Amino acid sequence: MLNNSVESEKKMAEVETALNSDGPIIQAKDVSVFYGEKQALFDVNLDFEKNQVTSLIGPSGCGKSTFLRCINRMNDLVDIARVKGEIIIANQDIYAKDVDVVALRAHVGMVFQKPNPFPKSIYDNVAYGPRIHKTVSTKDEMDYVVERSLKRAGLWDEVSDRLDQPGNGLSGGQQQRLCIARAIAIEPQVVLMDEPCSALDPIATAVVEELIDELRERFTIIIVTHSMQQAARVSQKTAFFHLGNLVEHGDTDQIFTNPQDDRTENYITGRIG
Amino acid sequence: MNKDAHIVTSFDNDLKTVETLVLEMAGLVEAQVNDCVTCLLKQDLELVESIRASDKRVDQLETEIGDMAIRILVQRQPMAQDLRAVVVALKMVSNLERIGDYAKNVAKRASVVTELTPLGSSNETISRMSEIVQDMIRGVVDSYVARDKDMADHWRHKDEDVDLIHNTLFRELLTYMMENPRNITSCMHLLFIAKNFERMGDHTTNIAEQVHYMVSGALPDDDRAKSDLTSSITVDLDE
Repeated sequence: MLNNSVESEKKMAEVETALNSDGPIIQAKDVSVFYGEKQALFDVNLDFEKNQVTSLIGPSGCGKSTFLRCINRMNDLVDIARVKGEIIIANQDIYAKDVDVVALRAHVGMVFQKPNPFPKSIYDNVAYGPRIHKTVSTKDEMDYVVERSLKRAGLWDEVSDRLDQPGNGLSGGQQQRLCIARAIAIEPQVVLMDEPCSALDPIATAVVEELIDELRERFTIIIVTHSMQQAARVSQKTAFFHLGNLVEHGDTDQIFTNPQDDRTENYITGRIG
Repeated sequence: MNKDAHIVTSFDNDLKTVETLVLEMAGLVEAQVNDCVTCLLKQDLELVESIRASDKRVDQLETEIGDMAIRILVQRQPMAQDLRAVVVALKMVSNLERIGDYAKNVAKRASVVTELTPLGSSNETISRMSEIVQDMIRGVVDSYVARDKDMADHWRHKDEDVDLIHNTLFRELLTYMMENPRNITSCMHLLFIAKNFERMGDHTTNIAEQVHYMVSGALPDDDRAKSDLTSSITVDLDE
């Protein structure tokens, strides 16, 4: 047991070192995903640079969410899902046998389409991650982490006087920012966002987009979005998926002004392809 | 370029309307350029009024196309080739409007120049210059309709011919002025007229570059030969 924890600490340290080096932070190599017999994703090769926001766009069922969920092994939770290929985060294949999925998810946080705060207080929602990952030891430290995370998520001023109130009593936009605060409380390297603004009004959306831009300094962000304008606004890189294939990947400016593939052009200009 | 229809048909109609209006404007401007030369060379001063009238319509079209383009940007939030088409339409109309203004200016000067004695072959030279400019406008507009970047590039390079004629004329007119100060009035007007055509050529070149951008997503990457030397031309009286 002791040995195990020493091992795992050593591994975490290795991952930290690798994360601080240059080069792509995530490399997907020939990633295919099957749901039972049906193949949902075909040989996707894609690199993600550190401190960049990448948008994954494409029509419904194109595989973008499936791909996003591969990055923190959320597909493990789907019985019939099978993943082939490699996803290398900081020099480590996250699908290798000895990978601790819980530790992985401490490095790769996620925010979902519908805000899903735990039925707990605002404070406990944010403290949840640091508690289970044991990244803080004292109450003072935890207070500090909760405050810092809520501040980074741009929510502190709105909730600092009612941290003991239930998280699901907040407005939709506030709940989503609470979920972001919860995701970043454990200082992940990568934050995955699956249509984080689709249930929010334009003002809450603007607040979250502003936040994404600030979080980029600290985290690498991958966002799935159906709003092309949002992709164009928040991301530096954009990847277009179609029928399970990665069709085109490049600088966001280029994808939206001068895409190279007709399928991308058809999709983003709203044509019948 | 992709010519598939949009899922929303009214979007196709909007883009088509912009194109039709741009073509109407280009047609009017082309006619203005043609008419201003006739004013000048055939001393047909009635045409001056008609150019003025058509200039009003050109200005109106510029506003109309601008409004339409802004409406499309707001309602459709166009991307890729659609975005380029809308932005290029906006830029094209500014260039066309300027060309129209230069033509109007030539027509206004025509009434002064016709009262003066023609100087050497300057009228023929201006006529040649204007023919090239008119060909360029026509060619560039055709390339816009055909979404043909090679055709746009071809006409873009024709501006060099306009510049060369402008240089020659500039030198010639300087000489006339030195020979006899009585020539100065007509020479000054002719110089401005020549300069107007030279500017029309430049604006047409801009449009050609915009068509190239609209079709390919990038501006032409070669440096166009720049042949307008008039800013450094001097003529020595004792030569």
